[in-house]
Amino acid sequence: MAPVSSRHPARAGLSAFRLQRAGVVYALIIVVLVFQALTLSKGLPGFLSVTNVRNIIDQSALDGILVVSMTVLLITGNFDLSVGATAGLAGATGLIVANSHGILLGTLAALGVGVGVGVINGVLVQVVGVNAFIVTLGMLTAVQGLLLIVTSAKTILATSGQFGSIGTTLQRFSPPVVIIVGALLLVYAVARATGRTSPRRSGLSLDGTSVSAGVMGILLVAGALALPDLTTETTESWIMLAYMVLASLVLRFTVVGRRVYAVGGNGEAARLSGINVGRYKIGAFILTGASAGLVGLMYAGKFGAVEPTALINEELPVLAAAILGGTSLFGGSGYVLKSVVGVLILASLTEGFNVLNLGANYQYLVQGIVIIAAAAVYTVAGQRRRAATTAPEPSRGQTQPDGELPAAKATDEQVV
Amino acid sequence: MLDGVTKVFPNGTRALRGVDLAVSAGTVHGLVGANGAGKSTLIKIMSGALPPTAGRIAWRGRETRWHGPGMALQAGIATVHQHSPLVPTLSVLENVFLSSRGAWMWKAAGKTAELNRLFDAVGYALPADQLVGDLSIGDRQMVSILQALSQNPALLILDEPTASLSVSEREVVHAAVRNLPQSGTSVIYVSHLLDEIMSLTEVVTILRDGRVTLDEPTAELSKDRLISAIVGKPLLRTEQSGQGQPAANVQAGPPLLEVTGLNSPGRVAGVSFTVAAGEVVGLAGLLGSGRSEILHAVFGSDAAARGMVRVGGNPVRRSPARAVRAGLALVPEDRAKQGLIPGWEVWRNITLAALPEDSWRGMFPRQAAELRRAQSAVESLSINPPTPMTVVDQLSGGNAQKTVFGKWLYGGVKVLLLDEPTAGIDVGAKRDIQLLIRQLTRNGNAVVVVDSEFGELLAIADRVLVVRQGRVIAERDARRTSEMELVALASGLSA
Repeated sequence: MAPVSSRHPARAGLSAFRLQRAGVVYALIIVVLVFQALTLSKGLPGFLSVTNVRNIIDQSALDGILVVSMTVLLITGNFDLSVGATAGLAGATGLIVANSHGILLGTLAALGVGVGVGVINGVLVQVVGVNAFIVTLGMLTAVQGLLLIVTSAKTILATSGQFGSIGTTLQRFSPPVVIIVGALLLVYAVARATGRTSPRRSGLSLDGTSVSAGVMGILLVAGALALPDLTTETTESWIMLAYMVLASLVLRFTVVGRRVYAVGGNGEAARLSGINVGRYKIGAFILTGASAGLVGLMYAGKFGAVEPTALINEELPVLAAAILGGTSLFGGSGYVLKSVVGVLILASLTEGFNVLNLGANYQYLVQGIVIIAAAAVYTVAGQRRRAATTAPEPSRGQTQPDGELPAAKATDEQVV
Repeated sequence: MLDGVTKVFPNGTRALRGVDLAVSAGTVHGLVGANGAGKSTLIKIMSGALPPTAGRIAWRGRETRWHGPGMALQAGIATVHQHSPLVPTLSVLENVFLSSRGAWMWKAAGKTAELNRLFDAVGYALPADQLVGDLSIGDRQMVSILQALSQNPALLILDEPTASLSVSEREVVHAAVRNLPQSGTSVIYVSHLLDEIMSLTEVVTILRDGRVTLDEPTAELSKDRLISAIVGKPLLRTEQSGQGQPAANVQAGPPLLEVTGLNSPGRVAGVSFTVAAGEVVGLAGLLGSGRSEILHAVFGSDAAARGMVRVGGNPVRRSPARAVRAGLALVPEDRAKQGLIPGWEVWRNITLAALPEDSWRGMFPRQAAELRRAQSAVESLSINPPTPMTVVDQLSGGNAQKTVFGKWLYGGVKVLLLDEPTAGIDVGAKRDIQLLIRQLTRNGNAVVVVDSEFGELLAIADRVLVVRQGRVIAERDARRTSEMELVALASGLSA
């Protein structure tokens, strides 16, 4: 037991904070600081004002929920272009049903639409074996068509205001909730940092998880005490944050999470290890569809209306954010948290351009450049790392040179 | 043609130790040898893909040095590799002349005439405008051969052209090879199938461990001499490697694995066998004989397979997940592609198959328990470097193989299916794995093992089933058979 604990990954210490691993977080910090400097230098209210930060988080909520599921789907080695259209259709269907049969049935209808699309996507990709790009591209078009049919190409309005009511109740409770969550994170961080130390050694053993938890805990408690307004986020934001945390924990700490990575990392090896690969791959599609349904519902609740072009093309920023977060398009690697940071970067860019009054003309150009640059950085870093880790193997005398297969085909952080 | 060719790889592997080979014009020359004897290396040197470390190559009486495959091709040496890349979306005509240079414009009429000339040369015709993707494997092989012939080579090297073909498809290739010398093309014919070598070739060269052990006109050869030249001194070798005394295991218990009527279209045909607790059963067969396919059919990873598999008397439904739950374990042939998750450490790879065992309530993996199990696997398998923290991409072949083994070293496993467990790994690791297999049987597990090296198979197994074309054609007690007999049975020469 002793030799094991001394070789614990904690030995790797704070490697999770190296530029290579946490680059997207530093990118967000740089984007925010640049806008802060620009706004202040122009004599405008600072970019980091409470209203602005709330705006950014609020605008990231829907894409954030989608990106969490999309990241899980990407880790299993698939992807889904139909999330935006599905969310639109789910929102419209939910609203129509809610108007006639009440909110509960409306909610179920919206989620049902999402799950249904997810099941069809998953079965076509995994069971029939059609390429995911083609299936979900076709689904994108078909579902957009269905949305036009369902709405008769007209905007659907909510007839009752019930959708918004849950939001306000949650807002009232949020400062104490945030303080409690922050305190729990702090306690966990301290317990992890001290608990990992072997009895013979004294002092703290810090690793990525304990430090992140500690920093987040401090930020949450301090933020809630100093600027209570900052914590009165919308319901959507809280759902997004909760979903993000839950998904991260499941991926990191459960058997299911480990298998999700295994299925995407090497499907054949996972299958021969007795993992039901099809179940995980279809499951990821259903999860993505279901969260598209939820997002459609939240969109309907937020605006009290669903227009026939609602959430169209929303899959593009979602995929872009996942790429910004370093998720591999080939499966097997990715982090939900980093993908959400990717969404925050895109939302910060949008908000920054608005605040600086630069207009939308430049916004897409800059977003596009940021995404391509991120992909290039990940690819180059991945190549360097592979070159560094695939040291020549010592080979003993054997008469079969072709038998030794170079196992180094890891593409785990290669993007695009 | 070749004179004292030696090939030493940069990693110190000696693949060829002074090989002499002379091919006369207008003959079919057989090249035979067990896996790892150096055939592939020799072919690569002849076709210019690899430079020799020492020795000379003479082509048409003049000493030459190839600077790459293109040069050898221009000089008139064309090679058909085992898996020649064809473009499935192009037609037969387009594939045959894929690499032809010259005119800018594609002159279909001229090409068609040339194709017909080639068809005459091999005595077999295909529809010129059919897509290659729609052809049978045998016809695709013919397209590869025609493609090589379109370069008008003086020497055609065929690397196991019939290994994956059915009997009737083989006949087509055989007829083509017989026709070639008439049009002035010499052939080097590489094959494991000895009946083919006997009937097709005029001269045979046999390689073993990088040396020529026989080089004679086929007509003067007997099958026995052929086999003993391939295998070496079989009896001595079995004795040497048999120190583990397989006889010790023979007080085998009740049947642990029972397979009845296993079928998979095109791969496995009506296979039935039982393996007792504490017994090792070997599957002996040539490449493409269906030995790996039988393992996959038993494990349930071949979705098309039908038949009854029982473990400890209980039927197992056909899927890998259920097989693992029933106590079956498969160590696949291709470690990198089928066995390991790239980018993961040894410990995460080892615990993958039985993760719930190391988890709190079967759902939340406990890293301490995982590391403990991985550490004990690393120690008992002497994986190097001796830590579960190594990322598997950095492991050598033998250690990667041990890691795949490590996945299945937990309580629930009853039957291990091992596909080429020692292929391509060094002697020390081979020994470790052989010892491990014996250790497993002593603990009451049943083992089914596929191994191309029949000598090793005899050392490991108690009983050997000979596999040919997806069927079990013979069963032998490992102590009462010989490597020679197995080679004869597996290659279709009934001894």
